[in-house]
Amino acid sequence: MIDIREKLDAIGPYVPAPDDDMLVCRCEEVTKGEIRQAVHAGMLTIEEIRRFLRCGMGLCQGQTCGKLVKGIVARELHVSPLDIEPATSRAPMRPTEMRILARDGGEAHE
Amino acid sequence: MSKHTAEVIIIGGGVNGCAAAYYLAKAGMKDVIVLEGSPSIGHGGSSRNGGGVRQSGRDVRELPYAMYAVQNMWPALSEELGVDVEYYQKGNLRLGKTDAHMEKLRNLAANANSLGLDMKIIDGKEVKEICPYLSDEIIGASWCPTDGHANPMLTTLAYYKRATELGVNFFTDAKVAALEKVKGKLRKVILESGEVFEADKVILAAGYESRFIARTVGIDVPMTKYFEEALVTEVQPHMFDIMLGVASADFYGHQSQHGSFVFGSDSGLEETTDMGLDELKTSPLTVSAGCRAIMGYIPMLADAKIVRTWGGWLDLCYDGVPVISEVDEVPGLILACGFTGHGFGTAPAVGLMLSQMALGEKTVVDISSLRYDRFKAVR
Amino acid sequence: MIERYDLIVIGAGPAGLSAAIEAAKNGMKPIVFDENAKPGGQLFKQIHKFFGSKEHKAKIRGFNIGYELLEEANKLGVDVRLNATVVGLYDEKEVTVRIDDEIKHFKGDSVLVATGASENMVTFKGWTLPGVIGAGAAQTMMNLHHIKPGNRILMLGSGNVGLVVSYQLMQAGCEVVALVDAAPRIGGYGVHAAKISRCGVPFYLSHTIVEASGTDRVTGVTIAQVDSHFNFIEGTEKTFDVDTICVAVGLSPMSQLLKQAGVKMKDTPGGYVPECDEWGRTSVPGIFAAGDVSGIEEASSAMIEGRIAGSVISQDLGFIEKAEMEARASELEDALGSLREGMFAPKNRGKLIEKTEEGIGVSMNLLEHGFVADDEIERYPGVTHRKGIHPVIECTQNIPCNPCQDACPKGCISIGANITSLPTVTENPCIGCGMCVASCSGQAIFLVDEDTGDGYGTVTLPYEFLPIPEKGTKGVALGRDGHEVCEAEVVNVRSAKAFDHTNLLTMKVPKDMVMKARFFKAAI
Repeated sequence: MIDIREKLDAIGPYVPAPDDDMLVCRCEEVTKGEIRQAVHAGMLTIEEIRRFLRCGMGLCQGQTCGKLVKGIVARELHVSPLDIEPATSRAPMRPTEMRILARDGGEAHE
Repeated sequence: MSKHTAEVIIIGGGVNGCAAAYYLAKAGMKDVIVLEGSPSIGHGGSSRNGGGVRQSGRDVRELPYAMYAVQNMWPALSEELGVDVEYYQKGNLRLGKTDAHMEKLRNLAANANSLGLDMKIIDGKEVKEICPYLSDEIIGASWCPTDGHANPMLTTLAYYKRATELGVNFFTDAKVAALEKVKGKLRKVILESGEVFEADKVILAAGYESRFIARTVGIDVPMTKYFEEALVTEVQPHMFDIMLGVASADFYGHQSQHGSFVFGSDSGLEETTDMGLDELKTSPLTVSAGCRAIMGYIPMLADAKIVRTWGGWLDLCYDGVPVISEVDEVPGLILACGFTGHGFGTAPAVGLMLSQMALGEKTVVDISSLRYDRFKAVR
Repeated sequence: MIERYDLIVIGAGPAGLSAAIEAAKNGMKPIVFDENAKPGGQLFKQIHKFFGSKEHKAKIRGFNIGYELLEEANKLGVDVRLNATVVGLYDEKEVTVRIDDEIKHFKGDSVLVATGASENMVTFKGWTLPGVIGAGAAQTMMNLHHIKPGNRILMLGSGNVGLVVSYQLMQAGCEVVALVDAAPRIGGYGVHAAKISRCGVPFYLSHTIVEASGTDRVTGVTIAQVDSHFNFIEGTEKTFDVDTICVAVGLSPMSQLLKQAGVKMKDTPGGYVPECDEWGRTSVPGIFAAGDVSGIEEASSAMIEGRIAGSVISQDLGFIEKAEMEARASELEDALGSLREGMFAPKNRGKLIEKTEEGIGVSMNLLEHGFVADDEIERYPGVTHRKGIHPVIECTQNIPCNPCQDACPKGCISIGANITSLPTVTENPCIGCGMCVASCSGQAIFLVDEDTGDGYGTVTLPYEFLPIPEKGTKGVALGRDGHEVCEAEVVNVRSAKAFDHTNLLTMKVPKDMVMKARFFKAAI
C-alpha cells in the first residue's frame, strides 16, 4: 500500500533545476522539468507519468528514453531506479502500417 | 502512520472515483480517502477507453446526466482542474454503408430526438462535407453536433491531481477484500493486506471488481466482464476533431490533440474471457481485424503506423446501464459500477452526483432508475 | 492460417543461430526470424579478434565467426527468415511476424527469444543534436555500410564497446580526440585501452560531457571533471572541436517481447531481464531466452547459452534423451564457466581489483589513464629480457584468453590450465615468427630485440591500419602513453594469411627505447 500524501510530503516540493528544459523523450518532446513536476503532482509510477505526459508513447515506444525517465523519477522519489516498475510492453514491437497489419490472412466474415 | 479513518472512503481510483473525490473536496468535504487497488491511478477502464464524450446512442436512463455533463461540466473542465483534458465538442458521426445500417441509425436518432437531443440523419454528401477523409462507400450517418471527445488518461489524472491538492488522501496498491458493517451500518473497509479503514460513507466505484466487494455485505450487481482492445497510430497530420463510430459497431475512435488516432475495436471472435483481470493481454487477431475495419471507412489511414495496442475490461451490467445508487440494506454504501463501457463521458456528472449522495444532498439529475434493486426475474 | 514449428527462434544473432543449430542437429525443425537484412546480429560488425580459448573461437574475428555459424546453420537446413520482424508474442506461443507486406501467424512448440540488446543513451545539453550517435550505430555505419561516421570524434564510455569502437574509428580513418568516462577507472579490458592509448588518444576518467555545442549539428563538445557524486567540478572544463560524439554507456536487453508474453521479469543493474533458470527457461512453459536479452555479456557467451537452450529444448520436446542433454549441457556450462572467470567476471562487476590472481599489483595507470606506465610493466610475467629476439607480453589483467600459448610453434609461451592466468615466457628459444603477435586478440604481444649491435634494437608490433608503412619509412616511435619517445624507421613489414590481417611492423629504435617504443607513426 502506498500512501500518496505521505510520499509527496517526504519528497518535498518541486525545486526548479538548471537543466529542466532538457529534452528527455525526443518522440513526444517531453522535458526533464515536466517529468520532475509530474512526480511532485502525484504521478509516482511510470504508467501515470506516461499517461500524463506521453513520454515513451511515441514512435520509439520508450526504447531510448525509458531508462532515462526511470532515472529521473527515481532520483525525484529518492529511490533506486530498480525499485521503479518499467512501462508495459505492447504489440506491435515495431511500428507497423495499418495496411500491413490488415493483411494477416484473416478476413472479415461477411 | 497513515490516516485510516475518514468521513468518506472511495473504493476505486478510476475516473468516477477521482471525480467524486474532487467534487467532495470542492464542496468542502476534505476528509476523504481514495483506495486504488493497482499501483497506478486510473489503471482500469479509465485509461483504457476511446475517450468518447457522447450523448447520442445512450439509454433513456443515462441520457439526462450525459447531457448535463456536456452542457454544464465538460466545457470548463480543463480550466477548473488546471490541466488541459483535451476536450473537443465537434460532433459525433455514426457511419453507415448499407440500408440495414441506416435503419439502425434512424432508430437511434428517433430515440434521441424524443428525449430532446439534437441528432439527425445525413446523407453521404453531407458526411463528406463534415469529414472529407472518409470512404466513398459511406451512404449516410447519424450526426450529433454536441457530442465530442476528451483524453481519458488526462481527465482521470487531472481529477486526481486536483483532489490531492485540495486535501484528499489517495492510497494505491490498496486492494479491498471486504466491507464490514458495525451495528447495522457500513463502517469498515478491509484490504487484502489486512489493513482496516473506517468511514461513515463508502462509495464503491471499482469496476467489475465492485461485484465481489459488494457481495461481502450481501449485495450483488448482475454484471459480466468483457475485454476490448484499442490501437494507437503514430502522429498524423491534423485531419478532424469529430468522434467517429460505425453503425456496424466494428470500431470507434478519434484523432487526439497531439495527432495520433485512437480506435477501439474487437475481432468479433470470442475474446479471452478466461484471462485474469490483471493480465490485460491483447489478442493476436484483434489488431489486424481492427485495421481492416478502420481502413474500410478511413482509407487515408492505410499508411499510418500502429505504434501500440492495448486492452481493458468492461464491466457490462445486465441491462446495459450502470448502478448508481445508495443501498437501503447497507446504510452508508453508495454503488457506482456496471458502466458497460460508456462511463467515461458521464464521469463529471457521475462524480458530482456521488459527492451529492455522500453529502446527503439531492442529485442534480434524477437517477432513481439506476438503483441497485431494479433487477427482477423476467419469467 | 497458422504455420507450426518445433522451435521458433526470434533473432538470428549468435545466441539464436547457435540454438537453432543445436536443435537442428538433434533432428528438430527450427525456424529463425530476424528483422535485419543480414543474419548474425552484431557479429558482422565485430572486425576485431575474439577472446577466449579455441572452443570459444578465440582469435577469430567476429564477422568470420558469423560466417562459420551461418554455414553450419545452412548445412543443417535451418530455415533463417530475414527481413522478418516479429511484432508480437502471444499466448500459446503464437508469434506474429511482418514478412514483406503482410503479417503471418506462427505457433511453436517452443519459442526462444534471442533479441539481443539496444544501446543506452545519456542526456547532456545538446544531446539531441545531429552528430551525437551511439557507438553501436557508428560501428554499423563503418563496418556494415562502409560510411565514416565523422572526422573528429569524442567517445563517451570506456567499457569494451567504447574502447573497441574507438579503435575501429581510427582504423576507418577518423580522429578520436578523447575517450571520456564519468567513472574513475576504465571499465573495459586494459589491453583494448592500451592499444588506443599508444596511438595517442587521451583518456579522461572522472570526466563527462557538459555540453555538445552547435546550432544544427555538433561542432564541439565541452567536458569537465566530476567528483565522487558525479557533480561537475568548476574550472575543469575542456573543449574540443568535434563533429561527432559517440556514446557507449551500456546496453539494455531488448526484452519487450518476453514481457508482452507475460514472462516474469526482474529489474537488475544490467537491465530488465526475464527470470530464467540456468538453462534459459522462463516462467512461461516453452518460452526460453538466451544471449544479451537475458543479461548483457559477450557474443562468445551468447553462443554457448544458445547451444544450451537448443539442447534443453530438444530434450523437452523428446528429440534427445535426458542423459544426452545433461552431458551436453554440462560440457557447455564448463565452457561458459571459463568465460565467466577472471577480473571481468560478472561477479566482479563494479569491484576494484588491486591484485592479479598471481598476486601482482594491477597497474593503476592502466585503470586511470589507459596505459601501463614504463615503471610498472616490468613486474608482469610476460615481460622478460634476454639476448636476441623474444616476445614481450604486456598482458596485465586476468581475462579468459589463451590463443598465444597455442600460437607459438616453439612453446615459448605458457598460460597453463587456468585460461585467465597471465601468460609467462618460457626458456625455449624464440624464432621470431610473430605468430604470437598476430594471435593476441588484445594486441599486447611485441617481439623485441634489445640490441642489434649498432646501438639500436628492434620492436615488432601488431599493426592494423591503412596505409601500411613501407620498409624504409621514417617517423617516430610512440610510447605506451601515445607520446613521441624517439625517432624510428620501419625495417620490415610482414603480412601473412596466418596473421589474419594483423600486419607485423618491425621498427628500429635506439636500444634504450626498445622497452618504451610501442607504436609507429610515419613522418608527414
